[in-house]
Amino acid sequence: MMTAWLDQKLEARGLERADLFIWPLGMAIAVLWALPFVWMVSTSFKFPGDVMTKDIEWLPHRVTLNNYIKVFDYPVIRWGFNSVVQATVSTFLCVLFGAMAGYALARMRFPGRDTLFYVFLASLMIPTEVSVIPLLLGFVKIGWASSYQALILPSIGNVFSVYIFRQFFLSFPKELEEAAKMDGAGPFNLFFRIALPLARAPAIAASVIIFTLNWNNFLWPLLVTFDESMKTLPVGIAAFTPVVGTQTQIEGYSVAMAAVTILSIPSLLLFCFLQRYFIQGLSQGSVKQ
Amino acid sequence: MTTAILQGQADFGAERHQTDRAGYLLVAFFALPFFLFNILPVLFGVYVSFTRWSIVGTPKWVGLDNFHKAFTDQWVAVAFKNVFLYGLVIVPCVTGLGLLFALFVNKRYPLSGLARTLFFAPTVVSATVIGLVWVWMLDTQYGLVNYYLSFLGFDDIPWLTSTRWSLIGISIASVWWDLGLAFVLFLAALQDIPGEIIDAARVDGANRWQRFKHVILPHLRPVISMVVTLQLISTLRIFSQVYVMTNGGPASSSSSPIHYIYNLAIVRNLFGYAAAVSLLLFVLILAITVVQRFLLRERA
Repeated sequence: MMTAWLDQKLEARGLERADLFIWPLGMAIAVLWALPFVWMVSTSFKFPGDVMTKDIEWLPHRVTLNNYIKVFDYPVIRWGFNSVVQATVSTFLCVLFGAMAGYALARMRFPGRDTLFYVFLASLMIPTEVSVIPLLLGFVKIGWASSYQALILPSIGNVFSVYIFRQFFLSFPKELEEAAKMDGAGPFNLFFRIALPLARAPAIAASVIIFTLNWNNFLWPLLVTFDESMKTLPVGIAAFTPVVGTQTQIEGYSVAMAAVTILSIPSLLLFCFLQRYFIQGLSQGSVKQ
Repeated sequence: MTTAILQGQADFGAERHQTDRAGYLLVAFFALPFFLFNILPVLFGVYVSFTRWSIVGTPKWVGLDNFHKAFTDQWVAVAFKNVFLYGLVIVPCVTGLGLLFALFVNKRYPLSGLARTLFFAPTVVSATVIGLVWVWMLDTQYGLVNYYLSFLGFDDIPWLTSTRWSLIGISIASVWWDLGLAFVLFLAALQDIPGEIIDAARVDGANRWQRFKHVILPHLRPVISMVVTLQLISTLRIFSQVYVMTNGGPASSSSSPIHYIYNLAIVRNLFGYAAAVSLLLFVLILAITVVQRFLLRERA
């Protein structure tokens, strides 16, 4: 009687009895998966003396903001400013130029168009790490090492942006363009007045993904910033590790965790609010290949 | 790949003879930085790899010297051996767990949206966050991982401070970081499978395992192949978490090709040699991509 009722309930949701066991297990693993973040935040509010101990306190019995204050003994504001400039400018240019190129590649006819697109696609096979050493030499030679140009310029040519917009504009209704053409709109007008305003969804998807990539970019900023004052946030805060720098041995893990909590907030916030775009963009960008 | 991408080309029949010159201009804004900063350096790098070049001096042509050196350099061998081991651990874990998590979230249980967020979240944070959080999690004496393992009767494991464990320690952090992309790709592929097919199999009395093996898995083959390739390539490029967590140590036991390249260039100022080693890595990555394309085409 009871089991029949249960089976019926499950059936209605398209589930089986095994799901009664799988669901809690899966949810437990999902929570477990996020625990390192919880531990990071929890540690960041602890007094240094409460950190290196064998008593595991998930909720600290006393909290302090001192670790966060100590983080600001380092030039994190400067690093944060550099990161914001680097990530926003290069993302803006990459998305705008990518939209223009994607539009042209999808909607216009000109010799070499498809070859160009193949070159863009083929370049995905070149890992950025291959170009990093010669790029550094080049920037040093022209005296642009440790500069905003050096941080920004190499991130503009991200093909992902072109790809996303090209896919979108391929299925763009022709009638809209035609109507505008009748009114005598030139190609630039057409793009900026008609096409771009309607490309909100791919623009947001490309922006959040490329911004996250740029915000987290590590190897290139590490190589090209010789001055402490030109470091980006991820590179600067990496010095809180016990291996490369010396800070952690003095300050302890609580300050390091405060620093990485600060560092992870922008990405996690962006992700929480725009998750849909992240997931759509990533699956569009790769699965359809 | 090509068919899907080039569809829509036929739409232009009526205007066949027209050339939109503005198209070049629209593409140029992107193409210029792309060729200058993404393509040109690769070609320049080929030249650099034939020279001896320190950052201040002038380059000196040395022919194939750097490549000869690379093939006899024991640290190159160590770095490539390590990256092979990283791949052996990380690729199956990311693929397997990513698929399992995607199957779970795809079921539309209550709260599966939350599970999706939690599984994906680590992927969006920077290597510095991943590295420092896991250095702390894997701390030999006070780390959470060893604390909970001690209940299972394990002694403290020196995850990041012994030559025996450092690769595993970094791999754990890498799986946590990388899993999100595989997970999302699997989830998208699962959602593309028409529900009727699975329902039909269920009506025919196929159990969960049979449905997975005979209905779902065949649909996933191309995605699995893609995830394995993407993850393999991203593992070959492993650097930031290594740099943050162990700096390649102890005794190079966790170093990777990119980490070695970084050391050659930045610490030892051997830019020509560094460029040569990065070309070797590039050839390896290219070979893997080509083999995967070939295998996919064979099957199709």
